Amino acid sequence: MIIGLEHYLVLGAILFCIGFFIALSKKNAVGVLIGVELMLNAVNLTLVAFSRFSTTEIALSTQVFVVFIIAVAAAEVAVGLALALVVYRNRQTISVDRTTLLKG
Amino acid sequence: MTELAGLSGILGAWYDFRDLNNLQRLITEWIADWGPDWLASIVTGLLGALGILGVIGPTLLVLIWVERKVIARFQQRYGPNRVGPKGLLQPVADAVKLILKEQLAPRAADKLIFFLPPVLIFIPGILIWGVLPFGPRMSVADLNVGVLFLLAVSGTAVLVIFMAGWSSNNKYALLGAMRAVAMSISYEVPMVLALLTLVVFSGTMSINGIVEWQQQEDVIFILLFPLTALVFFFAASAELNRTPADISEAESEIVAGYHTEYSGMRFGLFYAVELGNTLVVSGFIATFFLGGWWMWGLDEWVPSWIILLAKTGAVYFLLIWTRGTLPRLRVDQLMSLCWKALVPATLLFVVVAFVQRTLLISEGWDTTIALPIMAVINIGLSLGAIMLFARVARPADLRRPARIRMAGAEIGGLRAARSVAARSEEPQFQVGGD
Amino acid sequence: MSEFGFHLAFWSLAAMTIGGASMIMVSRNLIHAVVWLVLSMLGVAGLYLTLSADFIAVVQVLIYVGAISVLMLFAIMLTPRAERDNSSSLKTAGPAGVVVIMVMIATFWVAIDTDWGSVREAALTDQARLIGESLIKHYILPFEIGAVLLTAALVGAIALAREDDEDAAVHAASLQAELDGREFDPVDVVDPPLPAVLTAELPAEPESEART
Repeated sequence: MIIGLEHYLVLGAILFCIGFFIALSKKNAVGVLIGVELMLNAVNLTLVAFSRFSTTEIALSTQVFVVFIIAVAAAEVAVGLALALVVYRNRQTISVDRTTLLKG
Repeated sequence: MTELAGLSGILGAWYDFRDLNNLQRLITEWIADWGPDWLASIVTGLLGALGILGVIGPTLLVLIWVERKVIARFQQRYGPNRVGPKGLLQPVADAVKLILKEQLAPRAADKLIFFLPPVLIFIPGILIWGVLPFGPRMSVADLNVGVLFLLAVSGTAVLVIFMAGWSSNNKYALLGAMRAVAMSISYEVPMVLALLTLVVFSGTMSINGIVEWQQQEDVIFILLFPLTALVFFFAASAELNRTPADISEAESEIVAGYHTEYSGMRFGLFYAVELGNTLVVSGFIATFFLGGWWMWGLDEWVPSWIILLAKTGAVYFLLIWTRGTLPRLRVDQLMSLCWKALVPATLLFVVVAFVQRTLLISEGWDTTIALPIMAVINIGLSLGAIMLFARVARPADLRRPARIRMAGAEIGGLRAARSVAARSEEPQFQVGGD
Repeated sequence: MSEFGFHLAFWSLAAMTIGGASMIMVSRNLIHAVVWLVLSMLGVAGLYLTLSADFIAVVQVLIYVGAISVLMLFAIMLTPRAERDNSSSLKTAGPAGVVVIMVMIATFWVAIDTDWGSVREAALTDQARLIGESLIKHYILPFEIGAVLLTAALVGAIALAREDDEDAAVHAASLQAELDGREFDPVDVVDPPLPAVLTAELPAEPESEART
């Protein structure tokens, strides 16, 4: 069996679903961020796989896109963790289901 | 055998000690003759790794002795002189002692994460050797993103240090680990900027390419960017946790930092990797700023790897020298030195490198005339920047105090205690104020 | 690379990636979760290498392992009295599982059923240079926007994480409360209860001073 595009796509899909589940179900804010990071990684993996199994021109622009996604992920994590710190400072917890001030 | 002889005739004989790569290539091509090609690629990698391990293992034992002897000379004492001639066998005796010692683990430690770091710390410690070019074709992997690889691999060691410190469940270990992490992610910034200067100027990210650029232009980078070299030297010694910047394992403050709870050979592994990293970083400083395996035509007469080792030894001696003579900086001083002095200095030279590179490429200036002029300008700029920093722009917390003061009086000293006491007495709110 | 070596690399790296990601779901300790995340990221970096994207692989290790995971550990360390457990909340796990299984079926179906028309040309060489050049030439506007985004994120993160006097007071009071073994409500520090003088019942006004 030759390892082709489909193998990487299925792998990316599994990784995306695991990340999705973690992001939806974890109680801790950092846990949710970990899930989001896994999802972004799955997308990157898919894009790199597409770039390998396509023409050279498309391959280059896909890899540039991956670089942008990594930059955005880094920015997102920095701001997300700073938000977690602020929440912790005011509520002494970073659990997402205990920060329910807006519930009334 | 005749085929092999013919092959080696083209590529250099296997006994040609000027280029050890010939031997390895001979072996892999011989395997490729009869075996599958995956075996050849695996054997190539193994040979590289074993070569590195076989060289640095014994070298470390000698280096421990050298470092202790040299430090002892700086401090006007003899150093090790009991075991073996001139104390040469002292490191061996120490190693035997460490191996025989009992391996303790704190009861409250996080067992899995506690046992992993002494092993994991070896992975970046070995991988980083892979991109060091010992000669024109003599590096285990000559990646075209070598500089990035170097930064990525040295960044992973931080994580292992954190794991060691956190899992020990010891406040000193955790403090040491947090200090190490904070320091190494801060000092990565001037390091990256210093390497960026070189990458911009030489137009390649391959480490061997940077050496070849220096060879081609007949100049070494320390002449072109002296301040960058200085900053890189200091940032590297901070990443290595060596004495002017060894706050993460400062004995007088936090016992032994992140490896406080590691005993016996587990501690020995941390120690060995630290020494090995010091050696490889000296090698990289020699490669980036002193021309690596190249030395104005001397490399045609002397094997290139001997030139690199000589330069590495010189840089290593400088590292021992700074360790033996400079006092330890405080945590806040280290941070403010990094962010207020080193980062602006390297940023200045990144801009200078951009401008000069543009002049060389777009304007088509003649490098034989332009490079010496640029070197003179850059040396002048470096001296000017250092003078400006020393006289005018030095931040307040790096200035020499006018009177002797208690270290950290505001943080944990008497004044802090008084202010806490005063604060608890004063009312939390004022009645009828504004 | 030969077929056997490629298979070995792909399956072991895939196991490493998926195994690390699954252990994040299972592990109860947040710090363990971050360590598993690092393992998973390293697996993804190795998979990039099997796709001959060496620049992206090195950037992945540099950013995710060297920066993002360390940032997460810092955030965990800076929230010392928050919960360290990484458990899933039972209320959301059920619906989340259903949604995720639906997404999984859809993505699998798309991935396997579609004819992607994949071609296998020679991999890009000298990717760092090519990516750099196309960032400057074709993608200059996104590149600049990305630079602005990173700067904004940097400034925003610093502005958010900065501790002003009020925060410092809350922090000090929470430490004191823990020492005293009291319940702590940060609202008491930011917006303290009125002093007893003001909240006490006012004495009844003497009758004699009534004007009328």
